[in-house]
Amino acid sequence: MNGFNGCPGSKTMELRKNNEEEENTGKITSHLRQWPIQMHLISPTAPYYQGADVLLTADCVAYALGGFHRDYLKGKSIAIACPKLDEGQEMYVKKIKSWIEDAKINTLSVLIMQVPCCMGLVGLAREAARQSDRKIPIKQTVVGLEGDILKEEWLSA
Amino acid sequence: MEEYLNRGIKEIIKEFPKIGEILDGYGIGCAPCSVGTCLLKDIVEIHDLSPEDEQEMMGRIAGIIYPDRKMEIPLRKKKTHTNKEIKYSPPLKKLVDEHRLIKRWVALIPGIIKKVDVERADDRTLVLSGVEFIQQYADRYHHAKEEDILFKYFDEEQDVIKAMLEDHKKARSHVRALLKGLEERNNAAVKEHLRAYAELLTEHIKKEDEILYPWMDRQLTIGQIGTLFTKFGEVDMKHQDLHKNYEKIIDRFVTE
Ligand SMILES: [Fe+2]
Ligand SMILES: [Fe+2]
Repeated sequence: MNGFNGCPGSKTMELRKNNEEEENTGKITSHLRQWPIQMHLISPTAPYYQGADVLLTADCVAYALGGFHRDYLKGKSIAIACPKLDEGQEMYVKKIKSWIEDAKINTLSVLIMQVPCCMGLVGLAREAARQSDRKIPIKQTVVGLEGDILKEEWLSA
Repeated sequence: MEEYLNRGIKEIIKEFPKIGEILDGYGIGCAPCSVGTCLLKDIVEIHDLSPEDEQEMMGRIAGIIYPDRKMEIPLRKKKTHTNKEIKYSPPLKKLVDEHRLIKRWVALIPGIIKKVDVERADDRTLVLSGVEFIQQYADRYHHAKEEDILFKYFDEEQDVIKAMLEDHKKARSHVRALLKGLEERNNAAVKEHLRAYAELLTEHIKKEDEILYPWMDRQLTIGQIGTLFTKFGEVDMKHQDLHKNYEKIIDRFVTE
């Protein structure tokens, strides 16, 4: 039996093992340009959020997505959260709203895993956008367990 | 093949008329285009066919250009391929919504052409109110957003953009001729330029909705999408009730 048959978000799976052939040699640059990053710890009006293109990323995404730093984080500010396990998520809605209205962020990209519980993060972003008078483009990207992009689409602004 | 990829499409179709038909079969309507200076390689890029369709089409084109050479066209891996319903980014979606209102006005034109008589003051007023919509909304508001904001994110020397600007210019010249026709009480001229304007705008909007905007969406970075959205928002603030007002006017037109 492969893991248990309950929640697909925590089902045990073994993914590919042999990817040595694509190993890069040399140091890979980090594109993180801020600290802290956890949603409870960040201040939505910190200087690096002002007018920024912001990533709201589910915790697991950066581990699944091979090119996360280069393809997504580069040039952007970030906050991470887990919509399944984190407590006090009403605070997250307030902070996202403050990004939009106070920090006047330019865009918001929500990156989630393909597991159903991750959709909760998109729900938080939608709710914050609904409550905000200021409108911005919001994009949703769904990452597969093997690090592939399954879906990329604009949520209406 | 390389040589032909870098040639203008009109020239290629002139040399090999069959290629115009092949393109047409894949929904690429270059043959009747008034400009036709786009390079073959840009056309292939802009139309974003599925990798399989693109391979097949290029194979057929190569077969026409080099009938006695057997050419292998490789299957090109592509990052994005949008086959289904087009999903625009929020700023481009705004422009598509504006097109919808313009198309509603354009759809009224055939009816106006049928009954208009410029000797009657009422009919002249009717045509003038249409011209006012074209000038205020389609041109000073919508085309200005494209020309002063959107196109600035691209190399305006590119043929695709030049072709769009050329259409805008032609639209303006039809409006001028239309006004002149009204002044001179020339029924035939008024009708002719109304008809030409409707035809031009219908084609123009179709090109933008189906080809230009999706291509632009693929080129723009997320940061550019954000600033574009903000800039369009600023223009909308300046023309606050313009869209709503014209919507009402066109609604009234339709019921009358
Ligand atoms: Fe246009
Ligand atoms: Fe347009």
